[in-house]
Amino acid sequence: MSANNDSIQKTLTVAVLLCLVCAIIVAGAAVSLKPMQIANKAEDKKKNVLAAAGMLEPGVSVEDQFKKITTRIVNLEEGRFATDAELQEIRAAGLDPDNYDQRKASSMPELSKALSGDEDPASIKRLEKYAAVYMIQSEGEIEKIILPIHGYGLWSTLYGFVALKGDMDTIVGLGFYSHAETPGLGGEVDNPKWKSIWEGKEVFDDSGDVAIKVVKGPAEQGNPYQVDGLSGATLTSRGVSELVRFWVGDRAFGGLLTKLKEQGA
Amino acid sequence: MSQIKSVLTEPLFSKNPIAVQILGICSALAVTTSLQVTLVMCLALTSVTAFSNVGIALIRNHIPNNIRIIVQMTIIASLVIVVDQLLKAFAYEISKQLSVFVGLIITNCIVMGRAEAFAMKNGPVLSFFDGIGNGLGYSVVLITVAVVRELFGAGKLMGVEILPLVTEGGWYQSNGLLLLPPSAFFIIGGFIWVLRTWKKDQVEKAEFKILPNTEHSGGH
Amino acid sequence: MGLRSILDNLEPHFVKGGKFEKMYPLYEAIDTGLYSPPSVTNNTAHVRDGIDLKRIMITVWMCTFPAMFFGMYNIGLQANDAIAAGAGTALEGWREMLIAMLGGSAHDPSSLWDNMVFGAAYFLPVYATTFIVGGFWEVLFATVRKHEVNEGFFVTSVLFALTLPPTIPLWQVALGITFGVVIGKEIFGGTGKNFLNPALTGRAFLFFAYPANMSGNAVWTAADGYTGATALGLAAEGGVEKVVDSGITWMDAFLGFVPGSMGEVSTLAIMIGGAVLLVMNIAAWRIVAGVMIGMVGMTLLLNAIGSDTNPLFDMPWYWHLVVGGFAFGMFFMATDPVSASMTHKGKWFFGALIGVMVIMIRVINPAYPEGMMLAILFANLFSPLIDHFVVQANVKRRVARVS
Repeated sequence: MSANNDSIQKTLTVAVLLCLVCAIIVAGAAVSLKPMQIANKAEDKKKNVLAAAGMLEPGVSVEDQFKKITTRIVNLEEGRFATDAELQEIRAAGLDPDNYDQRKASSMPELSKALSGDEDPASIKRLEKYAAVYMIQSEGEIEKIILPIHGYGLWSTLYGFVALKGDMDTIVGLGFYSHAETPGLGGEVDNPKWKSIWEGKEVFDDSGDVAIKVVKGPAEQGNPYQVDGLSGATLTSRGVSELVRFWVGDRAFGGLLTKLKEQGA
Repeated sequence: MSQIKSVLTEPLFSKNPIAVQILGICSALAVTTSLQVTLVMCLALTSVTAFSNVGIALIRNHIPNNIRIIVQMTIIASLVIVVDQLLKAFAYEISKQLSVFVGLIITNCIVMGRAEAFAMKNGPVLSFFDGIGNGLGYSVVLITVAVVRELFGAGKLMGVEILPLVTEGGWYQSNGLLLLPPSAFFIIGGFIWVLRTWKKDQVEKAEFKILPNTEHSGGH
Repeated sequence: MGLRSILDNLEPHFVKGGKFEKMYPLYEAIDTGLYSPPSVTNNTAHVRDGIDLKRIMITVWMCTFPAMFFGMYNIGLQANDAIAAGAGTALEGWREMLIAMLGGSAHDPSSLWDNMVFGAAYFLPVYATTFIVGGFWEVLFATVRKHEVNEGFFVTSVLFALTLPPTIPLWQVALGITFGVVIGKEIFGGTGKNFLNPALTGRAFLFFAYPANMSGNAVWTAADGYTGATALGLAAEGGVEKVVDSGITWMDAFLGFVPGSMGEVSTLAIMIGGAVLLVMNIAAWRIVAGVMIGMVGMTLLLNAIGSDTNPLFDMPWYWHLVVGGFAFGMFFMATDPVSASMTHKGKWFFGALIGVMVIMIRVINPAYPEGMMLAILFANLFSPLIDHFVVQANVKRRVARVS
């Protein structure tokens, strides 16, 4: 190292040049890779929807599989699909309804409201005004509907989807794509064996009230509303139970489900 | 040539950055629950170390001493961002699991340590291989940890089932401790134990010795 | 002295230069286990009484007997109760065959013999596994490292076995004691140099590695298909009310007629053993008192704060005393002389830290109903620091006196 390296002039020159070179490299990488990253993100979300509903087929491109699915935005308060004016409202708030970021919406005051105490059994704190649902239709009838759900377990918020049959009552699949529960205990929410218990369970009882429930210990034989609790994970089981009940209930998708059941799509 | 060989092989065991210098432990705890993620992390760290070494070695004669560390950091940080962007574009699933830990390569002591200790004094070619060597040294430990954790914690390797789990109808009861971060400490500790049994020169001198306070008198 | 002369005749083969030089630790263990060690202190001597470490360890071991025997009886009682009530069936397998061979196949909960046989068939294999596997590691390290086998292992093994649930698979027992002895003790140089209680280290390993076999409701009663929560598990859900509603009175919990770990259920039996340890000055009374003060203090504080959602806040201290592993941990685990604080003042702080932490974990942490194991391990980590401060404070006081 020569001594004049430490002169002010040299120091500034080196600093400026270095920053310039680094900035060009970083910016170049970021800009040129951006489209691929966005595509990845969108595909990842679609994959989660399909996987949670138990419909992900390996080997087939996610894009193709998702073609069968229509995405609609739902007004949770009113229990119906959003009107064009409401879609405009979402756009005004800076979100894209075609690629709706529900998690972000739940933290924006103009698109969500705070829940408190008894209103919030799933401990989600804020409930968004609009939610995205995914439907598989054939000949005008809804075959399956996939609802996004989330809520607090023991250590973390669990994010996932629940898929219902066209009767808006029978569960065809449930899955979580993001959580941080204890491996081996609460983490067993990912266990395929446990998830398969949900298939065929019914959400509402005959009088139309939410009846589905994760019980402590094994469920009663033949009871269509009960799911076995995860052994050693009382709080995660309770969390899952509460969050499923909350999201199919009146405060969330309950209104929409009733309406769809009565009049079809 | 022999110099290149020694900078490549020495960091594997005799001067291993994790086991001997105990550097870069944080990511070893966080990303080693699955082998696939670990391999990508090792690749990311090795390339950042190698290329930051090259970059720094190239301009080492022009770096003003008083902003030395800042210059090194800038180069390392730029490379890390590029690696992070590449992962997000080409290996999205894995980059999601690595989350912040790719970004944290910036603060990984191995990268900074090699830049300051080696690349500032040696030419770009030798520095490049030194970076590769140290990256591999890091990888050896991480891969060992990841193999143990994924195999015995989840019964899988690279996501392929090796030991069928009891919860899924098999016979192997998974060890939940291995899925928790502290288990990496035990495994790294075990690695160092084995290494020091093999290479006795790595054992530090005892700081003090306890005098025996009893004497066998022989009779009863 | 026939035995003595046999041992003396054998000795030349085992000392340096002998045929079985490598096996010396084994010879030494048997010799000094039977007779007072011949070694003498050769630097600053500190004679207080005739007892030595080996005799202390044997005493501690014997002090666990009340808890152990009551534990065995209770394993049988709980399981036979469940079986007699039709709530569960006897687990098939070699244990059941053993029980039938000894005439316990009626599973009559009112029969002392049936219960004892049943309990023994569950506890003794666990204890034997602990002893054989742990002993193997102990002797292996003693041989390689050329130190003596320490009788501390007698205590470690029995304490480890007593803290396990009756249904624990034996291979997990082997793995747990391996971890406890190797990682908890031998890595640091063997007995006296470990900073964690090896029995609890082993238990903690199992607790985190195989939570499904170490916690929950299904593991505490050895009857198939039967789930019975521990008193502490019930309290976590609905406070003392729920415990009492389920038919467990305070007296039941105190005497130990409740499901739980094999040797931790009966506070009374533990207190009998514990009292002997205290009277003989083997267990430090300052630690025991510290744990009690910390526990009672923290409980009263939480009682005063109160909570609408967490019923455990209102649980009184005398309930905390009789449920879970509190009493066992206080008398047998916290007082481990190696991993506890050494200074008199330090022992108070060490004990109080355990008492406070155990209540914090039990009441405030949602994941773990029992906190005694974690509280003691936590305090183990702090004991050198506590000692350091006590010593420093003493130095400061004395320096001030000089100047």
